Amino acid sequence: MQLDQMEPIVKKFYQGLEEGKLYGRRCLECGAVEFPPHLACNACGYHATEWCEVSGHGHLIDFTLPGPQNDKPYLREVGKYAYGAVELDEGPAYTYVIFGITKKKAKDIRARLIAGVKVGVHSKIIDRPGYKELCFELD
Amino acid sequence: MVKLGKNMRSVSIVGVGCTPFKDFEDHPETQGIGEGEAFGYAALEAIADAGLEPRDVDFFYHGAANPYLINDCITPNMQVADWFGMRAKASVHHSEACCTGYVALEQAVMAVASGTYDVVLSGAVDLASTLPVEHMPSHVRQDFPLEVMIPSLDKIYDRAYGRPLDGAFGVSFDNWINEYSMIYDLDADKIDDALNGLTKSLRRGAVANPLAYYETTVEQDAAEMGFDSADEYLKSMYNPKVTQYLRVTGFEKKCDGAAAIVVMPTEKAKAMGVPHTPIEVLGTGASAVEAGLVHNEHWATEVAAKQVYELTGVSPDEIDLFMCNDFFLASEICSAEECGYIPRGEAWKYAIEGRTAFDGDKPINPHGGRCNFGHAHGASGIADIYEAVKQMRGEAGATQMAKVPRTTFLRGFGGSQNVRCQILRTVE
Repeated sequence: MQLDQMEPIVKKFYQGLEEGKLYGRRCLECGAVEFPPHLACNACGYHATEWCEVSGHGHLIDFTLPGPQNDKPYLREVGKYAYGAVELDEGPAYTYVIFGITKKKAKDIRARLIAGVKVGVHSKIIDRPGYKELCFELD
Repeated sequence: MVKLGKNMRSVSIVGVGCTPFKDFEDHPETQGIGEGEAFGYAALEAIADAGLEPRDVDFFYHGAANPYLINDCITPNMQVADWFGMRAKASVHHSEACCTGYVALEQAVMAVASGTYDVVLSGAVDLASTLPVEHMPSHVRQDFPLEVMIPSLDKIYDRAYGRPLDGAFGVSFDNWINEYSMIYDLDADKIDDALNGLTKSLRRGAVANPLAYYETTVEQDAAEMGFDSADEYLKSMYNPKVTQYLRVTGFEKKCDGAAAIVVMPTEKAKAMGVPHTPIEVLGTGASAVEAGLVHNEHWATEVAAKQVYELTGVSPDEIDLFMCNDFFLASEICSAEECGYIPRGEAWKYAIEGRTAFDGDKPINPHGGRCNFGHAHGASGIADIYEAVKQMRGEAGATQMAKVPRTTFLRGFGGSQNVRCQILRTVE
């Protein structure tokens, strides 16, 4: 491996967030999108991927509400939130902070998820000291 | 799925050792004991249990969950060998957070199965009640407050995305029991009753075990606080929910402890006539899925369990005893079903009915598990193996299962999350 064959992937991801862009990596063999991005494809195990942008829209798989043990005050300052799993429209799934889920709404959202209803979410980028954090919120 | 190859030769556990899992600073007998001594006590007990002397051991593994913070050292294997007579012999340190103890077994078995070594000791230690003091001898300890511990836990999450995006830490505690509750449409009260049922069963086991942290039952604690029943106490303000599903009693009881095992080729054990019936390690299934990924503990457990069943040809209905890391207590319910020990959708009911207690028909963690036996982080997995071996020998004392188990399934996880699924069987 030579210097000109390397580039910082994580840095580009966070620089993208500064510009409101969501960068992922698309597998050159199977086409799966790796998001957040890594070097190789974890869907099929192929070695090569290339940069792509993702929409930032997806649906909620499930969520849990924070308690004293896992509550983060700086997130509460932004709004009511839960922790949840999101599958993006392009396919990749990961866990994020989900804004817009209150204790009051939680029961109904959970019932819809159990019933197989797709609960849409879109990206919401918040400020953290020194970087931007990718979160989601209910559509 | 990765298909595992058979070991070059069968390997058995022939010796086990385990210190009490207590706050060593609270007990005059142990006040001032450091990591090296604690590891040494467990190692010497395991070596003697195998009918050996330290001179007979070829190699050792040292495990600790977080040695830089909790042991104030790097390469701790270098600092413990002299405590149990293994100076100048080869060793290595490994650290997989709370999965350390199960990796300890996997690696020791591989070292012997390969033919490289004949007799291997694998131990782990964490003195997690207190912290060492920099630049002071090992007997000097200081408080380990939550303000120091909680931020240190973050370090098990991925620095690139899992940690800075907050999802990994956020979902870790509850994501599997939440998924479970959605699949079976169980409301919060049913899950609460199930977890409190586990607590009552596990605490009974712990109180009857002289090595365990707790010395009073939940019923005694409830009476002490003026409650009429254990259930009232468990649901009271004295035991609040600290995540969506888990109460204080659903989290690990941090403590000090060390444990060790000795393994050797099964044929050698038979030929030597070791003091106790050898316990063969039939195989280890392994997976690691980072905490930011969706349903990571479930995912990795599913992979590792399938692997070990395929490798060994053992059927889930042959499992007599299930041991699992339950530092998030709900993990007992979910993993017992995923590993085929209890029918799907039923474990929450078994928990309420007390069927998973040491004297129930489907025991899980007869010693009390992480929340009641105590959690000395890296050492706890080997303490599980210690308990399994004692049960399989029929030497588990007051918590001995009515039917001595012949086959045990171990489901270990930790470090967000390494998973190991291992099957032990008594050599006939």
